[in-house]
Amino acid sequence: MRKRRIQIVPHLILIIVSLVMIVPLYWVLKTSLTGENLFIYPPSLIPENPHVFYFIDVYYWIPFMRYFFNSVLVSVIVVVSNVVLNAMAGFALKYSFPGKRLIILTYLSCTMIPFQTTIIPAFLLTKHLGLLNTHFGLALPLMSTIINIFVFKASFDAVPLSLHDAAKIDGMADWKMLFRIYLPLSKAAVGTNIILSFIWSWNNFIWPLIIINEREMQTLPLGLARFLSYFEDTSGQMYAFVLMVIAPVIAIFLLNQKRFISGVLSGAVKG
Amino acid sequence: MAFKREARRIRWMIYLFLFPSLAIFLLYRIVPIAWNVVLSFQEWKLIGPNLFVGLSHYLEMIKSDVFWQSLVNTLIYFFVGSPIAIGIAIFVAILVNKPLFGRNAYRAIVFLPYPITPVAIAIIWKWLYDEKVGLINYILRSLGMVKQGIPFLQSFSLALPSVIVTSIWQVLGYFVLLTGLQSIPDDLYEVAELDGAGFFTQLFRITLPLIRPTIFICFIVGIINSFTLFDMIYIMTNGGPGHATEILISNIYKNAFTFNRMGYAAAMTFVMFLFLLLVTGLSNKASGGEAGEVHYYA
Repeated sequence: MRKRRIQIVPHLILIIVSLVMIVPLYWVLKTSLTGENLFIYPPSLIPENPHVFYFIDVYYWIPFMRYFFNSVLVSVIVVVSNVVLNAMAGFALKYSFPGKRLIILTYLSCTMIPFQTTIIPAFLLTKHLGLLNTHFGLALPLMSTIINIFVFKASFDAVPLSLHDAAKIDGMADWKMLFRIYLPLSKAAVGTNIILSFIWSWNNFIWPLIIINEREMQTLPLGLARFLSYFEDTSGQMYAFVLMVIAPVIAIFLLNQKRFISGVLSGAVKG
Repeated sequence: MAFKREARRIRWMIYLFLFPSLAIFLLYRIVPIAWNVVLSFQEWKLIGPNLFVGLSHYLEMIKSDVFWQSLVNTLIYFFVGSPIAIGIAIFVAILVNKPLFGRNAYRAIVFLPYPITPVAIAIIWKWLYDEKVGLINYILRSLGMVKQGIPFLQSFSLALPSVIVTSIWQVLGYFVLLTGLQSIPDDLYEVAELDGAGFFTQLFRITLPLIRPTIFICFIVGIINSFTLFDMIYIMTNGGPGHATEILISNIYKNAFTFNRMGYAAAMTFVMFLFLLLVTGLSNKASGGEAGEVHYYA
């Protein structure tokens, strides 16, 4: 009897919690297909007469493909440079060399500087570099991230030294070992780097908000914010747009749940 | 001789490999922090050289009601919002860490909002909170709890809690997974049960003491993640009504990029930086300096 009670209560609580998480997202999906619930009272639970016209509206009302292209291009720059630059830094930190402590200290103290405390000089700097309203300017501050460097370092430290020595005896240069031995053996770390840096870049809002003022250069989150201020009452189109922005992130999460979760958790602590 | 040349070549490789990432951090972390301090003592001009104005921005700041309001709101977010989120998360984590049918599905569902674009979440919740057509008011009305819709985001007293609830909604699953990482051996609970310890005794005598470091790590993560709060406030209330939901970063953003008061905003940024440093340092200490350890469980 006692066991039964224990089983039912947790399920009940967890189902309520799950509903709180799912319902807002479901309502967005429903509204994007029907637009109905703003006008019909009481709202129906299942979408009636679903159609995709709101998605098509978004496509024609705003330069969606342009925003999409901007977001994708910036994310590609960020992801590629994160994998390459962080792997290089993580690899270098395997060796002992003069000034290593100082460099690690520099990295760790940078984790104590949240990006939002740097926005004003970062903006002025980017302006001086002539990178306002450019894809490269959007990507630059995110092109290497400290968490991801340590993710690589931890993974490289686990590679057996015998492989390193064997390659050395075969006359392989050290820098080649990174690409021929260490990276191929660190698929999990590469995955973490890709996922984390993609999410950060895709969701980024405050940085594009500051350095972009040309309509052509807006990324998707910026486009969303502008759309909201221009078309306050068009709910169907609004939520179609919201879905189009969050779909890639949700897809990545659902397809790589395990790696995703271990990635963001390993990122947690190293800040 | 060849050996020495080899060593020199490796040394070169090391510095070459470190250079790009170090350059980025230098450019976008270290230089800005220093430059920010300099800016805070200057009156920034669009054209021409900046004027040195000493501490006048700081003096203006401590006389500004908006500054104090945004500081208090930031404090409320950290010291009321975060503990509530962590509390709920611990509760959910206890449930999903027991052998329970479908617990992985529950975990995934609770975590689902975490990676979603904060701007999109803010738009969704702005509409959930809507006075006339929002889902929350619809439910409250259907249950007969209210006669008229509550204007959550337009209310001086409810706007800040409403925004905080949204940010808890997003980060909850993350905290659930973090607090769940620290596995507590089942036999501890079994022994406690045999000794007649109830749910709360178990919670306060076993669970909480054992996950103490994790709690403070959640707190630090909450601080690091707090930048998403800017996105939400920008979309949902833009700091209003009045300055009821103004936080430091939204206040800084407005002064710097709407009113072009870079120097004043820089002074506020420096205060925010010191404040974040202090809170992070204290939490790190309270966690027993074990902040790095959870890393290895992940």
